[in-house]
Amino acid sequence: MTTLYFLDAAEFTDVSAVAAAQPGARVERLPGYVAVTSDGPIVVDRRATGVRHAVWYSALAAVGDGRVVQYDKDALKVEPIL
Amino acid sequence: MTSPTAQVREQGADPRGTPGHPVRGINHMAFPTFDPAGTIHFYRDVLGLPLVQTMQVKAWGPEYQRDFVHFFFDIGNADCLAFFYYFGQESYTDENLPPLLDLGRHVALHVDTLEDLDGLQKRIEDAGLKLDMRVMHETVESIYVRDPNNILIEIARPLRELTAADAVDAEVTAQALLDVLASDGEPTLDALWARKAELITSRARAAQGER
Repeated sequence: MTTLYFLDAAEFTDVSAVAAAQPGARVERLPGYVAVTSDGPIVVDRRATGVRHAVWYSALAAVGDGRVVQYDKDALKVEPIL
Repeated sequence: MTSPTAQVREQGADPRGTPGHPVRGINHMAFPTFDPAGTIHFYRDVLGLPLVQTMQVKAWGPEYQRDFVHFFFDIGNADCLAFFYYFGQESYTDENLPPLLDLGRHVALHVDTLEDLDGLQKRIEDAGLKLDMRVMHETVESIYVRDPNNILIEIARPLRELTAADAVDAEVTAQALLDVLASDGEPTLDALWARKAELITSRARAAQGER
């Protein structure tokens, strides 16, 4: 199980929404953050988010029990630490 | 533990930090210049920032001191950008500064609106100067230009107001960084993301417990 945290700010809404739309993902609102949790890997397609590069590369606020295996112009992929 | 600053911010205070400390902006930032003519032209004539104070000073104090002119440009809010021109001082350029550190060291001026930003870009380009870049960042849109002293000048307009959540996140991120630096592990962004997750969840639990 891994959790991605996004700052609860307007510019990151589209990123957290794409992450949350992944099948099996659960969303929780914490004070100041949106937390997206999944039992498996979480993949966020950058183009699906529609955000500009500066926002994309600063969107990930924190990672719980996960390992970032890809974070580039195409996608963010985080795998659970087993 | 929530810092006093974060507590103030969470209570809805101005996230720019007006209450809680006595500092009110920049009195002045000062740099040496070896091109005072170009510097005065750039700030006064191109950007339209008036000179509001100058001093011509006979050398005194340490033996390396030289006669100098110290001049101040108004950058709004009664803040100033200032330069020293030292008579007879040989020009110096740090040729060994790595590009990343060169970009990291810059001055960002604030404007309120898109029209203001566009207007300054036009003034720069009408003067025959070229912007380094124009970037939509997270919370500001910025233009960048080199001044005659090769100082990177950013001019930024806000895309949104900063919130209490931004201020809390700043505190959490800084604490995560301090924790990572104090740990035995290698300081990396991955380590910071992991520590920050721990801090966010512990804060959330504490907030639930208070209810």
